[in-house]
Amino acid sequence: MATQRAWAVAARYVLVLVAIVIALVPIVWMATLAFKPVAEWTTATADLTWLPKNPTIGNFEYIFTGQTKEVIVTLEGTALRPVLASLVIASLGTLVAVAVGTLGAYGVSRFAVGGNLPLSVLQLRLFPPMAVMIPVMMMWSYLALVDTFWGLALIYGIVTLPFAFWLMKTFFDEVPREIEEAALVEGCSPWRVFYRVTLPMVKAPLATTVLFVFILNWSDYLVALLLTRKDWVTIPVYMSQLNIAMTGEMYGAKAALGLIAAIPPVVLGIIIQKHLVRGLTFGALKQ
Amino acid sequence: MTAQQGSVALPASPVAPVHSLAVAGRRLGKLMTLPTQLLLLFIFVFPGLMIIYVSLTWWGPLDGTPWYDAYESLNWFDNYIEAFSDERLWGSIGRTLLIMLVAVPAEFLIGLGLAVLFVDSFPLKRVFYSILLMPMMIVPAVAGYMFFMLFQSNGPINQILSILTGSTVDFVWLNDPNLAFVAIMIADIWQWTPLMFLILLAGMLGVPEDQMKAATLLGASWGQKFFRIVLPKMKVVMIIAIVIRAVEAFKLFDVMYVMTKGGPGVATETVSVYIYKVTFFDLEWAYVSAIGFMIMVFLSVLGGVGIAMMARAQRRRREANMGAADAAARG
Repeated sequence: MATQRAWAVAARYVLVLVAIVIALVPIVWMATLAFKPVAEWTTATADLTWLPKNPTIGNFEYIFTGQTKEVIVTLEGTALRPVLASLVIASLGTLVAVAVGTLGAYGVSRFAVGGNLPLSVLQLRLFPPMAVMIPVMMMWSYLALVDTFWGLALIYGIVTLPFAFWLMKTFFDEVPREIEEAALVEGCSPWRVFYRVTLPMVKAPLATTVLFVFILNWSDYLVALLLTRKDWVTIPVYMSQLNIAMTGEMYGAKAALGLIAAIPPVVLGIIIQKHLVRGLTFGALKQ
Repeated sequence: MTAQQGSVALPASPVAPVHSLAVAGRRLGKLMTLPTQLLLLFIFVFPGLMIIYVSLTWWGPLDGTPWYDAYESLNWFDNYIEAFSDERLWGSIGRTLLIMLVAVPAEFLIGLGLAVLFVDSFPLKRVFYSILLMPMMIVPAVAGYMFFMLFQSNGPINQILSILTGSTVDFVWLNDPNLAFVAIMIADIWQWTPLMFLILLAGMLGVPEDQMKAATLLGASWGQKFFRIVLPKMKVVMIIAIVIRAVEAFKLFDVMYVMTKGGPGVATETVSVYIYKVTFFDLEWAYVSAIGFMIMVFLSVLGGVGIAMMARAQRRRREANMGAADAAARG
């Protein structure tokens, strides 16, 4: 019996470690590549090494200042603006989604209004964005919203509204109504009840929703690809354009940029890990 | 439904009973849902009408006429008829379905296996758990780029394969139609298995412990417990996980567009990539509108049927539970 258990424990660790290695290899590859000098980017000259032999921050220097000792071509348009654009647009989009979603979710959760609204919101998530984006592109260019931060914030807010709405709805559903009703009896108006009583009670869930929606907005590629041109190009779009301007693949520079893009969602994701299941299943499942 | 571990809150749950807050705040409630209603209206109605209107014409962005004058080139249903004999479209739909049929089950099975490994506690479990979730949080376009680098013929994947097989492996992954297809599926499985794992683990932890203990006391083997108690209890969770992944797999764009741009040729072209190419390289916006509209109608019908089925299953379960409770109360 004891040996059998030892075997089971060993087998579990082996399997888990294999999974961990597979999960980490691509990430580690990119992370180390970001610190490799040009000569170590590919195997064309030498054997591929996993750890940089001559670690350098040249790749980061290159994408943010436009030049570094090793690369002859000067970079036109550094990554600085795309990084800021990603931050601004993802934040504003999150603000739109969470503000609208929180109000709507509270209305539906407490006042039995809205009818089929929750399901209609969910339906937004069903369609492939590519199929829906053609008329959106026409609309956005007609309204002169293409390549503006408010235009992008609006569409990001709409795209992630289902997540914000459903997350907040399930959070509100869990808050007992007794306290709110007591406040109502005390003479508070329903709006004051929401603003002064309920909102403070859901501070933590609200923060979770904000981070979750921010991750989604930050991760977008397609919407920005279709609706940005020059001024508000986001990191992923900028990254895919990086090799068009150059001769050859800018492996190291792209890896550096990819690392910068990858860090915020991973960190935020770990912070809200407890609520990921709820977020990803639109509140259908809790952990 | 309460906030039990892994409990399932149905989307179509009945609204709360009327009480004073609901009565007092009805007007406020309507006001509060207004922004959501407006945004939905804005994004469903206008683009919906636009896509139908334009899809009935030959209009394109280079016509020189604004979209609202598209009626000048009205052709009724020519775009729709063309779509039915568009081999590239059907090819891309076939490829999308193939990816769904291979990648989603693979993600499900691996995720289920991992969930079994993580269901009871062991040292370092939390750390391992966090690491295993990381692929899912990588920006998909970045993940696509990561795999683009990994699958270069002088890249690390060939190097690892060379070491493992002991001979030189130099597959040109992304330039070979079959290998490129395998490569994008590997990328998808890598990125989304954690999602399956996460959801299935939550479901597995939600299986009532007393039932498992009772089964253990009765001498049930691990296999019996797994197949007789855990899996049946997880049915709804499994359906949710698979549906969410299948819906997302149908949208597949970022990873493969970054990795292969749908190439070589059309070997890895999915529906989204195909639509993107026709939109930007052929500029046939009217035709793309027709395709987009058909996809939306198709998915709406599918989604409606799915939601109806879920609601029926929930109702049946609730009735069964209530029946059992009644019987218990009587007995």
